[in-house]
Amino acid sequence: MAYLSTTDFIEDKDFLDKWRYTMRTGELDLSWMNEDRQVEPCTPKQPRRGLTLRDLDVPGYGFTEMPEIARRNRSFAPRGAEIPAGCPDLQADVNRKSEVWAYNVEGYYEEAMTRQWNATTDVPWQEIVSAEIPEDVNRAYAQLLTFLSEVEMIATDVPAKWLGHLNADFFEVKNFIATQAMDEARHMEVFRKRALATGHGLLRASAQNETNLKFLRDADGFAEMSLALHLQAEGNVLTLFRFSEYISPTEADKKMFRLVMQDEARHVGYGMQHLKWVLDHFPEKREIVHKHLDEAENFLFGAGYATEVTEPFIMLAGKGLTQECIRKGIEITLKFQLQQIEEYFERLERCGMPERREKSRLWQIVEMTKAAQAEMAAAAQPAG
Amino acid sequence: MISFPSLEFFQALQARMREKQELFQRLGYFDTTFGVRVLDNGGAHSFILGFEVFENVRVEQVGAIEQAEVDFVLEGPLGVWREMLDNIRRNRGADAAHSLNTLTHFGESLRSVYLDPDAHDKMYRFAESIQQYFNLAAEVDLA
Repeated sequence: MAYLSTTDFIEDKDFLDKWRYTMRTGELDLSWMNEDRQVEPCTPKQPRRGLTLRDLDVPGYGFTEMPEIARRNRSFAPRGAEIPAGCPDLQADVNRKSEVWAYNVEGYYEEAMTRQWNATTDVPWQEIVSAEIPEDVNRAYAQLLTFLSEVEMIATDVPAKWLGHLNADFFEVKNFIATQAMDEARHMEVFRKRALATGHGLLRASAQNETNLKFLRDADGFAEMSLALHLQAEGNVLTLFRFSEYISPTEADKKMFRLVMQDEARHVGYGMQHLKWVLDHFPEKREIVHKHLDEAENFLFGAGYATEVTEPFIMLAGKGLTQECIRKGIEITLKFQLQQIEEYFERLERCGMPERREKSRLWQIVEMTKAAQAEMAAAAQPAG
Repeated sequence: MISFPSLEFFQALQARMREKQELFQRLGYFDTTFGVRVLDNGGAHSFILGFEVFENVRVEQVGAIEQAEVDFVLEGPLGVWREMLDNIRRNRGADAAHSLNTLTHFGESLRSVYLDPDAHDKMYRFAESIQQYFNLAAEVDLA
């Protein structure tokens, strides 16, 4: 146990005497009643929606008036409460709003709360169990699900790790990343269940993948982590989930991927709106962002193009292992990979970084992919 | 019997969605406005559908869709739309070849047109709600 109380309360005479006196005489302290923290009662602006965090954005309590640096509150005093002397410094090491804030973060939180789903009961498992899927396709699917389970465990740990580091005044962000940790845990759960439902179980974990994604967990700062996780990694994974829905062998699997892509798109939304906030309010951070993206792109490329990832995609897209199926699968998978990169640059452009397209080394991948497509197209032409 | 494409068709979906409030509440907040553009013989039938909280609050037929007014536009030939709806009616919901994501994924059957990728991502943030909305066509008496 790292922290021990500075007072042994059961042995502290002053503490015990005061408590006994109060209980015996009924003379209450009541000094807390003198705090003047009055507020107009908050009411739902949209009754159909209920009372949201946005409805609580009022003077003295809201997020709009929060300063860039949270100096006043170093404890767990809820934002807006009086902070008496003696509240301990809980040593949150993320105290700048620009490190964490995103436009509409309170909206993303409310959306997350209403759109939670249940991996046990919302996927039609009975349909999956009775579906007939060719053996090699089913096996490739089990490998894809193994990879996805692995990724989601990393994605659960990363936001959860940062929860305790954020100043308590940023609770809208803390609440949102708490929902993300829950989302990612549920994704790991559903992919594990689906893998074991294939009958092939979990196949090979990916050393390359884990080594490359470890950097998400080891990021030096929250903003660096968010850029790499929410915007880049989850942007790529969102395209991947959409592709997985596209190549899914059953309607039930498609529903499963629709449910996971909902959560993923919400996380990407937070990432985009966080970057926009940073660039709008602190344009001097642009070059730092580019440096973070340089390294993040290197790691993500290594992770996403691992054998245990790409080969199952090829088999699932081509629906088999014959030469023709593999040729078709490669053609479709290359299109998907180009789509991932294109959508990544589109998002950055929307956030205010159109120049990333030129600065990034990912264009080399684009050129390689297009060259591969051209070679395939030429090889498919009849001779003569 | 209701023809497709028509304002009447989308009003029928709106009515069915009201009847299935429990399903859509269970799925959660559904906050997006998107366009549907059905390409037909060189022209187009265009509609704007607005969703807020748990309801379909706007159903409008327009001459043309202002792209900035919507999060994205689902566009495609009448034949593809009709095949999707017939499939939904036959199977009481889209089968594996006819989900909206499948049909729009590479833009070969239907495509999703957008200006803002963040707004476009609402197609995925609310993916199951949008699919369930179109699945309501199973209960519409289509001509």
